[in-house]
Amino acid sequence: MNNGLAGTTLRINLSTGEIHRFPTDEELFRRWHGGRGVIAKILYDEVPRNADPLGPENIFIVNVGIMSGCYIPAGSKTEFGSISPLTNGHGDSNMGGHFGPMLKFAGYDMIIFSGVSPKPIFLYVDNDAVELRDASQYWGFGSLDCEEQLKKDLGEDFEIVTIGPAGENGVLFSCITHDFGRQAGRTGQGAVMGSKKLKAIAVRGNRSIRVHDLESLEKQVTGIIQRTKEHPNMEPWQKYGTSFFIRWSNDNAVLPAYNFQTTYYEDVGKIDGDQLIEQCLITHKACFGCWMNCGKYTKAVIEGKPVVHLEGPEYETGATCGSNLGMKDINHVAYINWMLDNLGMDSMSGGGVTAFAMECFEKKFITKEDLEGFTLKWGSVDDVEHFLDMVAHKRGIGEWFAGGSKRAAEKIGQGSEKFAMQVKGQEMSGYDGRWAPGMLLSYMTADIGAHHNRSWTITVDMAEGRESVEGRAKIVVYLQHIRPLFDTWCICRLFWGELDISPEEIVESLNHITGWEVTVDESLRTSEMIWNLTRCHYLERNRENGRLFDYPPSRSWEDKIPSGPGKGKGVTLEQVEKMLDEYYEARGWDKNGNPTREVLTDLGLDFAGDNLEKIGLLGKPTPGGIPPVRGEKYKPKAF
Amino acid sequence: MRIKVNRDNCTGCRLCLQICAIEHFFEINPKKAALRIEAKFPDPGKFRPFVCTQCGKCAEVCPEDAVYQNEAGGYIVDQEKCTNCGDCVVACPVGVICQHPDLGYVIKCDFCMECTRICNTKALVEWKRKPVTAKKEA
Amino acid sequence: MVIFLKAGSELRDRLKPDIDFYTRRIETEQGKTIKEILADIGINPGLVAFIYTSGKVKGLHYIPSNGQTITLQPPVSGG
Repeated sequence: MNNGLAGTTLRINLSTGEIHRFPTDEELFRRWHGGRGVIAKILYDEVPRNADPLGPENIFIVNVGIMSGCYIPAGSKTEFGSISPLTNGHGDSNMGGHFGPMLKFAGYDMIIFSGVSPKPIFLYVDNDAVELRDASQYWGFGSLDCEEQLKKDLGEDFEIVTIGPAGENGVLFSCITHDFGRQAGRTGQGAVMGSKKLKAIAVRGNRSIRVHDLESLEKQVTGIIQRTKEHPNMEPWQKYGTSFFIRWSNDNAVLPAYNFQTTYYEDVGKIDGDQLIEQCLITHKACFGCWMNCGKYTKAVIEGKPVVHLEGPEYETGATCGSNLGMKDINHVAYINWMLDNLGMDSMSGGGVTAFAMECFEKKFITKEDLEGFTLKWGSVDDVEHFLDMVAHKRGIGEWFAGGSKRAAEKIGQGSEKFAMQVKGQEMSGYDGRWAPGMLLSYMTADIGAHHNRSWTITVDMAEGRESVEGRAKIVVYLQHIRPLFDTWCICRLFWGELDISPEEIVESLNHITGWEVTVDESLRTSEMIWNLTRCHYLERNRENGRLFDYPPSRSWEDKIPSGPGKGKGVTLEQVEKMLDEYYEARGWDKNGNPTREVLTDLGLDFAGDNLEKIGLLGKPTPGGIPPVRGEKYKPKAF
Repeated sequence: MRIKVNRDNCTGCRLCLQICAIEHFFEINPKKAALRIEAKFPDPGKFRPFVCTQCGKCAEVCPEDAVYQNEAGGYIVDQEKCTNCGDCVVACPVGVICQHPDLGYVIKCDFCMECTRICNTKALVEWKRKPVTAKKEA
Repeated sequence: MVIFLKAGSELRDRLKPDIDFYTRRIETEQGKTIKEILADIGINPGLVAFIYTSGKVKGLHYIPSNGQTITLQPPVSGG
């Protein structure tokens, strides 16, 4: 193939051990743009609607997309997808590093796993050799420890993804780890791997990726490399990565502290980027083909504990496991990051679940007796260490929290649902939306639960007025089309967001790689199509009107921010309802949050509309019709 | 002319491997590169590039006299004469001569310096010997 | 006194560079903070996460010297 695809898709039935090779379906990748899009279509077509996400009927997909590995700026991503055990809907999560490109160099674009293995196995791929090998000697290993051991056993030049004990034990927010610190963190993909007894995937390959027009691609990309070397943001990004934004978030009252109780953290100076670089940094680390090297490989040094090595903490972990847990030492935050990585749990959900548990402890909803004699106090790294171990191994009350904060709150009751900071079962990222209503709407309406990767609007909120919800909906819709495109293309979003590479340039690269004639408008429409498909899938699985699932926890409107620059601020329930009404209108959905026939027909999704109609969840026609174009790019006004 | 390695600056991005293969084979394939990156993780958590130092060991051991020195003094492989026996691969003290199943000859650095131009962290830098100054000559 | 502000991305659109693609020359008074200077030229200081100068990160309370070049860094949009 001369289109950026490696050429082969693997289908592996883990119940029987059968491995089948198929030519990669180029038409499927063309229509759905690879990555997240292809995953969404396969899951929609093949997973029964009542399938248990941790059962044999769920499908686990590894997809490298079209652009990954193709000499593209940060063309490094791998996309993982399955029905999320956290949300019971379409789930996908992307990961940087080097695994995806290596899978392509071995000759594969996608691996589709079905069934459940009778015993622990790992997938071994070395060019044409594809084998399911016994993993019983690795079962129980930490994620990072397992990668280290597999590299010793197989060879340092293998690229490896692993799960930790949390994934093995079915902790619903388990992650997949790679390259000693990169994760596919969100939506519990690690739990799905664990349910299939799939401990790891190890890949090595030495084939070439063939593209349509390498001469034009090389000229374009080499020009981009030289141009972005001069970009003002390049040097600070290289030096500091994302960790420095913790101070900005704090100064602007969006940093979550003490389980989102407030948005101002007085000890931010003890856990910010300065502290990370000065106390913990070992080396700057890059994903495949990225010259921004935002990764920070570090060590955590705490008296009485072993020195541990990790990548991070990034901004998100710094917030959700730092200020959100009341931590007062960057080494403690790094140690918690390492624990989550090695046990194999998403650091955002891990931080969110721990913070929820800490507030429960503070309110005496759970006690020392529940915690095997330990406390769970704000700022205590020892308490967190013990708690995370209980959760990863589902010991005692750890089993409640292993389902995420939503399920734990259902068990604990006593009004704790109010401060389980999640939407659809997935915990919020490191931003508080009470004084950034567009951000709150972003969390509410993200397809995979509360996650900022779909839409991030804080600067828009600041520019347009933080107490107004006017006009946010259309902007959120546009961002929900353009941002997930990067998970479809399988390249890193940061070059677009931070170094001014335009969508037009990216699509130009895509066309040099594939020989297709894609436009930006087509890509955005494809992204909208994927968005609507995953919404339909969600409704078909959960059998209720969509609006029911789109609310944040009631802390969001009941508790005003108690301290700091945002003191007294917060949205009202009326504003929450108004944002949802405007969002659905902007989407062409009805007031119940269900896609209408009109918008589904426009997107070529009549088959999904038929399925919704059969179960009574097709959106009622909207008076006045749907907007001809859904979503609007934000146009900044003068200050 | 040499490639100077500042190993502490290497971030493991592998752009150097990519551009080497594109430059010499017009293919996207980091396994067709004439240099290598060693990664030591989790401890100490560092990358180290290894590049050709033009030591001449490959020329010494080649049974076919397929390695010759060009005008600049660099050691180049004559692809027509090379039989892909691999003696130079074993002899190379930094392990940067490699073989690939697609090719009937070894891959060896020819000092095109593209890796130094693409590197964004100065882990690989083109180093030219400084000319003797007039003052010194006087 | 004169300073030079540099920015990329959306911040660049607001900065309106006049020296090169990224840089604008600003005449200002000694002793003003970056936050005050940004407000003077119509850029919402909340849209700048930190500044970067001489290889170091500084906050918006930083007071620049004559002739200094300051890079404005916007907040990251998640990662």
